[in-house]
Amino acid sequence: MPPRRKAASPDQASAAPVRQSTRKRAAPAKITEKTNDETDDKSAQPSPAKRPRGRPTAASKLENGATQKKKSVYDVPSDDDAVGGGGSDKEAEARDEETEVAGTPKRKVKTTTSPVKSSAVKNITTPSRATRFTGGETPQWRRNDRSARKKSARALIERVVAGDASDEDEQEDLAQEIYDSSQDEEEEEEEGAEGRTQEGDESEAAAASPSKKPRGRQKKETVPGRKGGRPRKKSPTPPRDLPPYELYFAQNRPGAAKTSSNTLASLELLTHEEYFTILHQHKEHHATDIEYLQSWHTESFAQWSFELSEDFSICLYGYGSKRPLLHKFAKFLYDETPDHESSKIVVINGYVRATSIREMLGTVASAVDPSHRLPAGNPSVMLDSLKALLSSHDINITVIVNSVDAVPLRRAGVQTILAQLSSHPQIQLICSADTPDFSLMWDSAVRSAFNFVFHDCTTFAPFTVEIDVVDDVHELLGRKARRVGGKEGVTYVLRSLPENAKNLFRLLVTEVLLAIDEEGMSGGENPGVEYRILYNKAVEEFICSSEMAFRTLLKEFHDHQMITSRKDVLGTELLSLPFRREELEAILEDLMS
Amino acid sequence: MADIEALGEALGDQEHKAAYIFDPAAEAPVSTRPAKRRRVSKKHAAQPEKPKEKLAHRFQPLFNGLESKKSLQLRQDAFLKSWSRVQARIDGVLRETNQSTLEAVTAFIKECTVEMTDSRIPSALIITGANMASQSLLFEQLSDSLQTRAGAKVVLLRSGDASNLKAALRKIILEVVASPSDAAEEQDLSLGNDGKRYLNYDLEALRSHLAHRPSPNVIVAFQDSEAFETGLLTDLITSWLDRIPFKLLFGVATSVELFQARLLKSTCQLLYGRQFDVEQADTIVEKIFQTAVAHVDAPLRIGPVSLQTILARQRDQAAGIPVFVSSLKYAYMCHFYANPFSVLLADNAHEVALQPEHLEVIRSMGSFRNHVEASLHGNAIVHVQSLLDDDDYLAQKVQEQLLSSRSWASRSLRTLQIMMCHQGRASKFTQLYIDLLSQGVGEPDQLADFLSAIRRMDPPEMVLLLHQMVTIIKDGDRNMGLAGCGSENDPSVTLLSEVAAEIDTLCREAKEAGFTVRSEYRGQNKIMRTTVIAQKVQLSHDAATLTPQDKSYTRLVDKTVEHLQAVLVCERAEDIWLHEAWLYDFQTPYREVFMPRPRSIVQRALLRPHDYLACSCCNSSKDQIMPTIPVTAILYHLYLETGSLINVADLWTAFFGIVGEDEGDGLDERTALVMFYRAMSEMRVLGFVKPSRKKVDHIAKLAWL
Repeated sequence: MPPRRKAASPDQASAAPVRQSTRKRAAPAKITEKTNDETDDKSAQPSPAKRPRGRPTAASKLENGATQKKKSVYDVPSDDDAVGGGGSDKEAEARDEETEVAGTPKRKVKTTTSPVKSSAVKNITTPSRATRFTGGETPQWRRNDRSARKKSARALIERVVAGDASDEDEQEDLAQEIYDSSQDEEEEEEEGAEGRTQEGDESEAAAASPSKKPRGRQKKETVPGRKGGRPRKKSPTPPRDLPPYELYFAQNRPGAAKTSSNTLASLELLTHEEYFTILHQHKEHHATDIEYLQSWHTESFAQWSFELSEDFSICLYGYGSKRPLLHKFAKFLYDETPDHESSKIVVINGYVRATSIREMLGTVASAVDPSHRLPAGNPSVMLDSLKALLSSHDINITVIVNSVDAVPLRRAGVQTILAQLSSHPQIQLICSADTPDFSLMWDSAVRSAFNFVFHDCTTFAPFTVEIDVVDDVHELLGRKARRVGGKEGVTYVLRSLPENAKNLFRLLVTEVLLAIDEEGMSGGENPGVEYRILYNKAVEEFICSSEMAFRTLLKEFHDHQMITSRKDVLGTELLSLPFRREELEAILEDLMS
Repeated sequence: MADIEALGEALGDQEHKAAYIFDPAAEAPVSTRPAKRRRVSKKHAAQPEKPKEKLAHRFQPLFNGLESKKSLQLRQDAFLKSWSRVQARIDGVLRETNQSTLEAVTAFIKECTVEMTDSRIPSALIITGANMASQSLLFEQLSDSLQTRAGAKVVLLRSGDASNLKAALRKIILEVVASPSDAAEEQDLSLGNDGKRYLNYDLEALRSHLAHRPSPNVIVAFQDSEAFETGLLTDLITSWLDRIPFKLLFGVATSVELFQARLLKSTCQLLYGRQFDVEQADTIVEKIFQTAVAHVDAPLRIGPVSLQTILARQRDQAAGIPVFVSSLKYAYMCHFYANPFSVLLADNAHEVALQPEHLEVIRSMGSFRNHVEASLHGNAIVHVQSLLDDDDYLAQKVQEQLLSSRSWASRSLRTLQIMMCHQGRASKFTQLYIDLLSQGVGEPDQLADFLSAIRRMDPPEMVLLLHQMVTIIKDGDRNMGLAGCGSENDPSVTLLSEVAAEIDTLCREAKEAGFTVRSEYRGQNKIMRTTVIAQKVQLSHDAATLTPQDKSYTRLVDKTVEHLQAVLVCERAEDIWLHEAWLYDFQTPYREVFMPRPRSIVQRALLRPHDYLACSCCNSSKDQIMPTIPVTAILYHLYLETGSLINVADLWTAFFGIVGEDEGDGLDERTALVMFYRAMSEMRVLGFVKPSRKKVDHIAKLAWL
């Protein structure tokens, strides 16, 4: 938006006094404020490429939000103005104006009214303006817009002719609405429908005549009013307060998603180091409030432990990390129980990528009896054996699951196992859920096995260990090539590759692990293996016979980002793996079995 | 924040572990404990507890901690006792309801063991209905009863356990071989009796294992047969049937026809099936309702609003029986946990010395005020004065009132039962019960339908009805613990049986005379005449002539109706003084706890963080984005205004525009970027956005809240 603004601002600035003189309600303060804003923007980001006009961008609307906020400061004069003008005056004026518009093109009307205005018109037709309308759709939009106006004006006239007195309010609304939109058009072409509705509301509220209807209904009327004459193509946001499903369709209609082509190219992205350095320096000014919120939840600990003891499972949901809270709860439970032999607490971190059902069950089993080893096998067998183990011991185990809806726990079967585990009388389960849609994970059988009670535990606490912020964001942006997700991803890819590819990968993993042992980690990355050496070894082990074949195999890994390659100072190519040591070990184990 | 970070440090390595045992003692000794915890531990010291007592000190003292330990203990005990009683009754119902199915299936299996000669597999098709949640209970019971009574080994297969043939076979073999009776042999599962080694999914192992058993009866139960892959089922059914005597149970949620249509014809021909129907969930709910909720001895009355909510959830979410039971349980828990007067429901309530706080609160209760007002209308001024001033008097009256509320319970149930005699088929007991609780009985128009239906009855129907009523009054209802009055002297009994006898005589007389007896309330008594006068149709009604028998029958009917009108009186639960002690009628905790709306809660937190944080800086009445609100909330506001595709560059510009430096104490660019990163990653975790490849630096919107 800054580029467009740049072009627009001089002409807007010159237009502002004009408008101020002709139309009282065009809150002048707003405009000047806006230009201020723009200059700020410009200084913040020096002119990127030109952006096509009429595109709905988040930023433009956002800025809208920002200006609204400012507007509130300057609300008062415009309010006074409206009140002073009186409802009926305004209505009449608006209607006048509307009929004019209906009859003749608007611009002409303007030129006839005052000489000053003509200069404004000239301004509008200056080349700089014209370039702004290169979007192709503009003429059509203009036409649509005009026809919408005509239609609404016709409706207005008809109603006046019919003399339906009871409709006065509606008329006023309509007139107001049309008035607003025309005002809008001049003032801020970019502003969306939503902005208009709001403005409408604002001046309506300001006029505050006793006959005013409640907001809800008024809105209902303004919306069809606009709809009546085909919605503007350029409208970036549909009117506010649409129900979510309507919004979905509105935003997903073909061609609706038009965004600017600004990129973050000029912005230097964060590294892990920078992120954490700055984060540690940053003071969260809501810290005390967050803490208070937390302490408020702490009050219910006794109730929770009562619920747990009555064979209910607890699920905490709401925005914010609930891990600190659950940790406190664990402490509470721990301090409350006198006998730590017969009641233990097991914490499961669902957000850890390597979380596996096997490890979860294994930990619970070792809480029961440290020497016991669950049989390897499929999870349901393990669960059965765990249950048998439980019934032979007099022990109560509270299982605390952090982020039960984290990705690793969403895998098929995990929730069923958890539910069956929680339905065991000696197991109590309390978990936290972060997403708003967590309950979709459970079908009725699973849910009744869990026997959940839910508590709203909005904490506003920041997610710390749960999210790998920098990587996540880069992945969102598609900046860092996405690599296959840990061990599962690798096994998945390897499953579809031929035997010698597997062997090559095994070889590589072994070499890298050896290198880690010898050299240790360097700068957060695994040490590399020389390309030549790896090739020779591969030939020795009959994995491939030619460099061609070797390259082909490596290419496959490359495509899935399972390996990384870089050149050292001497220019030798080094191959390495983008996994942590533990992951590497797990992969190797998998490959060997 | 500082606290949270400190906590993070304390956690150390554990936060990155997938699972660990929580044991702070093993790490660092916690030196300072918050005061609250200390209080709890002190109490532990003061009252040494029995280790077996599960509930010890789960309850918190009420009245801001002023409640005495004794009444707290009493409350707790009262909860334990009353719920366990209710639970026992519910268990009884559940056992009984599945009993007939269990017996039928067991008999079928036994019969097949003896008689089957051809090679078909005996299979029981159990129509469970759509309720998955109650299936598991049924199948567990089935497995128990078959194991004990038919001496069979039962393997329960759920579709989740058996994703492929191997897994299914492994599970079958494991379950059969590793039954508790021969735990010793568990180890050498892979080692056959003849010294051969088998793979763990080789049925040969099972065969050699079974060869040494006297009654090789292996039953495989498919709990949710529809969810199994058809091919898998076919393979399982067709393989090995000539060598191992399998028998099959299928839980069918839809219908036998549909189930059959899924299988191959050749497979179907191998089955010798019989269908068994299971009692449907809503009948069971109705039964549980009668025994647990409406029961005379139910210590806690669950009020109409609560009941409506619970039943509505039952209906809307197709929730199972366990859900219903836990709903009831939660109501009990809430009442005893949070209501100080629940102490009055203890068995030895008369021993309870009510604290001054109790009495104080009683005096401020709504029902107390109503009671006082009613007494003043009745000019019982002394009574009112002592209630207000004399603590002992009040305490005594409270005890009396509790007793009388018991009699209200049985009276209301009897009323209900009498009404059910007629309406039983038309409307449900649950609905009647709820109406009775919320509205009471006694207003003439409430009974109007019921009474006019009685008036219109034929004599035979009438006699039947009267007999039913008499039986109920005399014998009560076992399910609901309603005791009968037992004697013949009850005025209602005498009157109703007299009327019945008289009607009988009348009918006999009429029969001899060759006509039937009608009351004047029957519709046919009116004769409609149509006369055409001056081209207008005139309608007129005439009362048909009534025989003397008809007239005396009408008299008898009137008498019955009058009597019923007088007897069927019952005030609403909320009109009774002190109903707060035994009536639980809240909607909120139930809805919040069992029917959460996480979407709107998360949305609210992000839209109006002030609601939760209650901070001074973020309070804004309009939809403005305050730069002070949490960063994710800012981003969420911006997110709401975007289309389905979001340009991150623009989003960042807008974000920085809000939190940036020009806002006075705004953030510098890098810090703002850190915050932006954090907010973005949280948006992703919340499932609001995902990467998009459509354009560079764009993300896609995922949630429309």
